[in-house]
Amino acid sequence: MTASLTLYPFRFHRFEPNGIVAVSASGDYAFLQQADLEHLIENPEMLPIHLLAELQSKFFIGVNDSHGSLRLLASRIEAKKEVVLSGPSLHIFVPTLQCGHTCQYCQVSRSLDDIGYSMSKVQIDDACSTVFQSPSQTLTIEFQGGDPLLRFDLVRHTIERINDLNRTEGRVVRFVIASTLHQLTKEMCDYFKMHEVYLSTSLDGPAELHNRNRPLPTRDSYQRTLSGIELARRHLGEGSVSALMTTTRESLSYPEQIVDEYVKAGFNEIFLRPLSPYGFAKRNERFVGYSIDEFKGFYERALNRVIYWNKQGILLREVTASVLLNKILSPFDAGYVDLQSPTGAGLAVLVYNYDGFVYPSDEARMLAETGDKSLRMGYIGTPLNLLLNSSVMYDLIRSSLVDQTPGCVNCAFNTFCGPDPVGAKEQFGTMEVPVFWTEHCKRHMWLFDFFFRKLRTADEEFLELAYKWAQPINLNPVP
Amino acid sequence: MRQVAAQVKGFPVRTVLRVLSLSEVTAQWEPDIQFLVLIQSDSELTSLINLINSGLQNLWCLTHDKNLIHDCEFSYVISSEATIETGDVVAVSDGRKYVHVLFRESDAHHTVFLTNRCNSNCLMCSQPPTTQDDSWLVNEALVIAAHMRISPALLGFTGGEPLLLGYKLREILNAFLKFHPNIQFDLLTNGRLLANRILAKDLLNGLPSRVTWMVPLYGHADFLHDFVVQSPGAFEQTLDGLLTLQQYQQNIQLRIVLIEPVLKCLPDLCEFIGKNLPFVKEVALMGCEPIGFALANKSLCKVDLSDWFNELEKGITWLKRASLKPVIMNAPLCSLPRSLWPYAYQSISDWKRVFAEECTTCSVKDACSGLFSWYDKQWSPTIIKAIQESSK
Repeated sequence: MTASLTLYPFRFHRFEPNGIVAVSASGDYAFLQQADLEHLIENPEMLPIHLLAELQSKFFIGVNDSHGSLRLLASRIEAKKEVVLSGPSLHIFVPTLQCGHTCQYCQVSRSLDDIGYSMSKVQIDDACSTVFQSPSQTLTIEFQGGDPLLRFDLVRHTIERINDLNRTEGRVVRFVIASTLHQLTKEMCDYFKMHEVYLSTSLDGPAELHNRNRPLPTRDSYQRTLSGIELARRHLGEGSVSALMTTTRESLSYPEQIVDEYVKAGFNEIFLRPLSPYGFAKRNERFVGYSIDEFKGFYERALNRVIYWNKQGILLREVTASVLLNKILSPFDAGYVDLQSPTGAGLAVLVYNYDGFVYPSDEARMLAETGDKSLRMGYIGTPLNLLLNSSVMYDLIRSSLVDQTPGCVNCAFNTFCGPDPVGAKEQFGTMEVPVFWTEHCKRHMWLFDFFFRKLRTADEEFLELAYKWAQPINLNPVP
Repeated sequence: MRQVAAQVKGFPVRTVLRVLSLSEVTAQWEPDIQFLVLIQSDSELTSLINLINSGLQNLWCLTHDKNLIHDCEFSYVISSEATIETGDVVAVSDGRKYVHVLFRESDAHHTVFLTNRCNSNCLMCSQPPTTQDDSWLVNEALVIAAHMRISPALLGFTGGEPLLLGYKLREILNAFLKFHPNIQFDLLTNGRLLANRILAKDLLNGLPSRVTWMVPLYGHADFLHDFVVQSPGAFEQTLDGLLTLQQYQQNIQLRIVLIEPVLKCLPDLCEFIGKNLPFVKEVALMGCEPIGFALANKSLCKVDLSDWFNELEKGITWLKRASLKPVIMNAPLCSLPRSLWPYAYQSISDWKRVFAEECTTCSVKDACSGLFSWYDKQWSPTIIKAIQESSK
């Protein structure tokens, strides 16, 4: 038996008076009872031998001269910070703000005949140069809008410029286009096939719901998106399109139907997302919004339906669950930018907007549309080192360090999580608010509690699914 | 070391030689190699003597027929037929009644023995360490590298603990890397001394990734591992060593010998490996060889694997969850649940492997690891039974 035991930093979360999950600095967790917790803190040598071994192996307790374990712990922490330490890897281009839809919750888009809402080719070339100033070996170039396919000429220009530059750079580059797919043509597909471009679209659920959420004058948004998906799959392959859903007040009544729609449409991934509280969605909150509690009920029912389908042998991954389970179960961070400390905004993501400015995240450029332009990092063309040394970046980092943010410091989940300063700015007009007031914190406190409770009572079947979902595939969906 | 009966006369102690036939001399001769030339007739002997007299001082005589050299004045080896093959690398010493075969081309597994000293004292050690100075093995290994005329696909280094050789180990690796540019190497080590940064740098800096470091881990907490290896502090040193190997981009296989204290914690150990050491190439779960210290610690080492199906399955599940590759060695198929058969590997060297009487009617014998040849004097990994498989 070891001579003297040292307590390492850890935090805990209480489910009920005698039920606790404790999380160590490595992100390993242990379900404990009150008596175990007291032993751990007061006299760890009194712990039952198997629990002592478990808590040592999970970095709650150290022994004399534990140079190997401490080095291991350092490597675990480093792996968790890799996303924000290896340079911006997600580069979002907003070539145009034009879109055919007039969605009630949409923040930003402009109608088709609006002019002056697109990037110039010079701006695109400048943005492409900034992309390669990032040291990141893998680069995702993501097109958002508006609907980028309305300006296919600009999309092409960007892809070709990036590929030209990459001939000497030799990075791993991935292209993704977020689009309704209504404008998709066979010619575009041929081009995408040649350049290995992935597509991401929106599918809110069954036709009626989707069409109500995403109005077109012709009322056939659902049908046109499905045709686009089919066209893309035919030319680009089954795995070429992914879809995202937005949960409106209307959606709350149809959790099972929405999941079933994804199964029917042949997707192997669904992202059950609450409505972004930003921009126009916030203004229309009374009409389209709902409380977190209302979303919880919806999410649990929908997730159960996803699990049901997996039990039937239909592979369907739920992305929110995958993000959380990756954080909790895997030593490799999948790089989900919204749960990083310091924040992934700016450090892992940059947005090159049609208005000629660089923003730290998609939400930040949405915020600018509603009038708050304070998160501009600089003009497109500003060298990356200046963008990353901008006062905006300093503010973002300062207000997203879990070790220094009151409310995060003692949070059991802080090895997995991080504040969302952009969200705070949007919600309260400032980043300097108590973190537990923010919607981001409330939602993730609930999600971590929810998934730890699930893991606490999980059977082998759920654990198998959980570990499968926890594998780090790229979990950054196109918002 | 493999030993074959022979008469040896007139060699300095442990002269290492490459065996070849007379007709091969012209093509293979080079000044720095010692050759043991197989002579089968008087005329061949005359030719050999002529070659030696003309200045080829590194040729020596081997024969199966002692009448050929009845009044011979020079050094020679007499062995019975077929115990020594051409291509063998052998070590001989004057007056001994045997020859050590250090390398044989026709073997399926090739091993170079580097030391019998060790800094651990594992409960189940199959080759208990000694304390004598055996540093002559280092020079011998260097000479073996030069004397092997073919490069097998894979060659293993074993001990004892090779890291006790310090920088000499790197010299040995360099020699083999130089003479055999295409071999992959396995190196059995406990990794503990790699916790020494200076030694680690000397050994690993610039070392190509053609070496797989096979490192044992027997527990997920220090007191569990240190008990099995009977050495306080070993767990922390081995972890440190594993991280150093990763830092130098070396290939690692973790090895877990399935004795009782290890089986008890196997699922937790595998979970720990999956979370903390996901950079290892594979994880080998190995049946215990009933030999060496294992006999002295029988109560801890003698297990029936069929009593531990649950732990084995859970352990493998944890490895799979971490996308690690499990390999099961030294465990016949009848000692494993069917779910684990896909991971079972025919690991026992031909010359050590036997089958039991029960195996004659077994339908999966061809896919089975078999048993260590000394099992029947001690114990087998489970009660051996024939499996009757209707075609799967």
